[in-house]
Amino acid sequence: MTARNAVRDDFPVLRREFDGQSISYLDNAATTLKPRPVIRAITEYYETNGANIHRGKHRLSEEASDAYEGARVVIARHLGAAANEVVLLRNTTEALNLVAGGLDLPPDARVVGCLDAHHSQLLPWRRVGQLELTRLDEHGRLDRDHFRTLLRGRPHVVALTHCSNVTGVVHPVAELVAEIRAACDAVIVLDAAQSLPHQRIDVQELDVDFMAFSMHKMLGPTGVGVLFGRSERLARLRPASVGGGMVDWVDLDGSVDRRIPYRFEAGTPAIASIIGSAAAIRYLEAQDTPERHRHAQELGAALIGGAVARPGVRLIGPPDSTDRIALVSLRLDDSIPTGEVARLLSDSYGYMVRSGHMCAQPLVSGMAGGEVLRVAAYLYNDVSEIEGFYQALDELVSWIAPTAAMEGKLA
Amino acid sequence: MTDSLLFDAVREEIAYAFENTAFFRKHMEANGLRPEDIRSLADFRRIPPTSKGHYRRGFPAGVLAKGYTLTSPNVMRFQSSGTSGERLNSAIMSYDLARRQATGFGVHRGFDGLWQPGSRPRLCRFAPPNCSDVECATGFSTMEDRILADGTLVLTVAHDLLATPEWQIVKALDEIEQYQPDLLVVDPTHFAFLTRWARRLGRKITSPRKLHMVCGYTLMTRVARRQIEEFMGPEVPIGDMIGMSELGYLGFQCHLGQRHINDREFYPEFVRDDRPVENGEMGELYVTTIDDGLIPRIRYATGDWFTPTGEACPCGSDLPVVRIEGRGTHMVRLRDGRVVTPGAVDAVVGDAPWLDLYKLEQGEDGDCTFRYLPNDTARPGDEAALEARLAETLAPNRVRLESVGYVSCERSGKFQSCVSHLSAEGAR
Repeated sequence: MTARNAVRDDFPVLRREFDGQSISYLDNAATTLKPRPVIRAITEYYETNGANIHRGKHRLSEEASDAYEGARVVIARHLGAAANEVVLLRNTTEALNLVAGGLDLPPDARVVGCLDAHHSQLLPWRRVGQLELTRLDEHGRLDRDHFRTLLRGRPHVVALTHCSNVTGVVHPVAELVAEIRAACDAVIVLDAAQSLPHQRIDVQELDVDFMAFSMHKMLGPTGVGVLFGRSERLARLRPASVGGGMVDWVDLDGSVDRRIPYRFEAGTPAIASIIGSAAAIRYLEAQDTPERHRHAQELGAALIGGAVARPGVRLIGPPDSTDRIALVSLRLDDSIPTGEVARLLSDSYGYMVRSGHMCAQPLVSGMAGGEVLRVAAYLYNDVSEIEGFYQALDELVSWIAPTAAMEGKLA
Repeated sequence: MTDSLLFDAVREEIAYAFENTAFFRKHMEANGLRPEDIRSLADFRRIPPTSKGHYRRGFPAGVLAKGYTLTSPNVMRFQSSGTSGERLNSAIMSYDLARRQATGFGVHRGFDGLWQPGSRPRLCRFAPPNCSDVECATGFSTMEDRILADGTLVLTVAHDLLATPEWQIVKALDEIEQYQPDLLVVDPTHFAFLTRWARRLGRKITSPRKLHMVCGYTLMTRVARRQIEEFMGPEVPIGDMIGMSELGYLGFQCHLGQRHINDREFYPEFVRDDRPVENGEMGELYVTTIDDGLIPRIRYATGDWFTPTGEACPCGSDLPVVRIEGRGTHMVRLRDGRVVTPGAVDAVVGDAPWLDLYKLEQGEDGDCTFRYLPNDTARPGDEAALEARLAETLAPNRVRLESVGYVSCERSGKFQSCVSHLSAEGAR
């Protein structure tokens, strides 16, 4: 029995029980749980302030504005960006749509993407340009030759996915960026929603033009998406929404937009959640230790090891833990309904895992041929939970799979 | 079956569950009991009731009897949204379902011709989406996609009944016409909604076969029944099912309108404060299955409340007669300690020809709001008269009436005519 993960106590949800049974939350690629400091920061804003930001001169508003802008600074510092390069939005999807729509691409603009992209990094580009997807190998790693071939077409945009939410593969973005810069002058847009929760990224070092992620996948509140944009790129980007909060001046003939990043933040933002996001970043940074990374490696190894050891389970992704996060997608036998298994894992065993196409339907349909079961661990999970999950899966499959089941039960 | 024969069957079920299911053995042992200790009814009542939570957590490994799997012949698996979010995964033997259904239909002469030797009734279901085991709430499925293994056609329904788009309603009406069913199994509120639309569109709901209708899933209000009867006409027999997804038919309404509880395939108890109630008093229904080889349930607390009347029914059936009171979590709790059941609220509302739909909701402060959809026949004074009756019934708590154009369903897609946040909160 391994020692219990100390950070679990920071996550009140993990104390919940269903029908007298504790729960294991393993759906972290969808969203993560929130630690007490984040919950406290949000509650504190509502209990002690509650005012709008950037709207007035009264004291509460100023305090709220300070906390809000302080959060922007914390997030920017975490990325190695300047504060004015951080746009606070609702989610990664909104951020990527803002870039795709705001670049004002010509209709025949060529965009190079990745086959393992989330729908949010596919559909916005398909709407504004001619999207070509880089192929993957059988384990979900990018076909680099194909990528280079696509770059020779001199795309306007290269939309990269740092980490697949299906295979867990972390692509070598630094190398890809270098290849893009050498081959063309495309705008580079990185979806870091699945990678940033697991590793630090320095946007200056990485040399991307835009990067998007969501705070809720890294212990923060829902409703906060972040777009990093190099200041010269942001300055040329067209705002998607106009209205209050994004203008300096309005008269009967026209208006003057505010400077970046405010011109992209029309309307009242999710003030409490953004303040809570800073608490999440601080919490994550405090956990950024060699022990945590070793723990993540152990979780990943347990996930992969459990999958490859089971003949009735097909791992969608590489069978090794090099350059990947602690996430596996599993394809069960065709006769076993994935959704029903996910429901039973939850209700009968307490394991919360995801089933379906993971908002990456082209990839899942192509690699798995149908729905998958996704197990995504995070810093509050233990290896013993992964082992327990596989035991539960084995037991369930023995009840559902016709042949194995009857042999086992009648013995 | 005589009482003593029935109790012998209960003892056999206890012994079977103890020997063959891990959960029930633990349940008995945790309370210092073994099957041989259960020699009388008093002994039987020493077994603490079992609950949905036990069976949800224990499914399948702890509650399926030895020798069975989820893919054994005749095992039907299902996932139910449950009432008020109490979801459940379970399984049932198709023949257990059939015999419980047959016992239920046996009390209603209008259903005598439904099952004919050598043929199987064609069945269409129009019920809340999560009760239907198929992705019927989206528009992507074809009729073939929605035909279950037992031949049931599941019709498409939106999660939020009153927000169902017209195309989906037309699709349901078209498919009934095309499928030519013998039996419609419906949620009464949903089906009343379909009849209102059919009337508006100038459509009929018929079949070249003799059509029968079973209502279930939620309390059948008199308002819904009135609309269904008016639209379908006197030739279509309508029976109200007392049922649960995990058990099938617990009872049925006879052709004279009384509800009968099935005490052939179940041993029913009506319990309040851990004691059996007298006839005429309300109690929660506990059931013990008889000869359920797959998932035997002992003293299973259903959460549904009934009043056994103790009266003989002139329909000829000797199955016990009960009055439906409703879910325990839906009871309206008054400040003076009294409880008003959904069944009692429905009796106060009556068939109310001037309204199409209603929902009484008790808030956390105890006060009630009665929202209703009036129809074209509503006259001045109708609302005031109902308000006076409801105020009298629900006093000292206040009730406010609101005429509205829309009332939402619960997340599962079920439309409950009476809910209480006080009772629901108390049950947590």
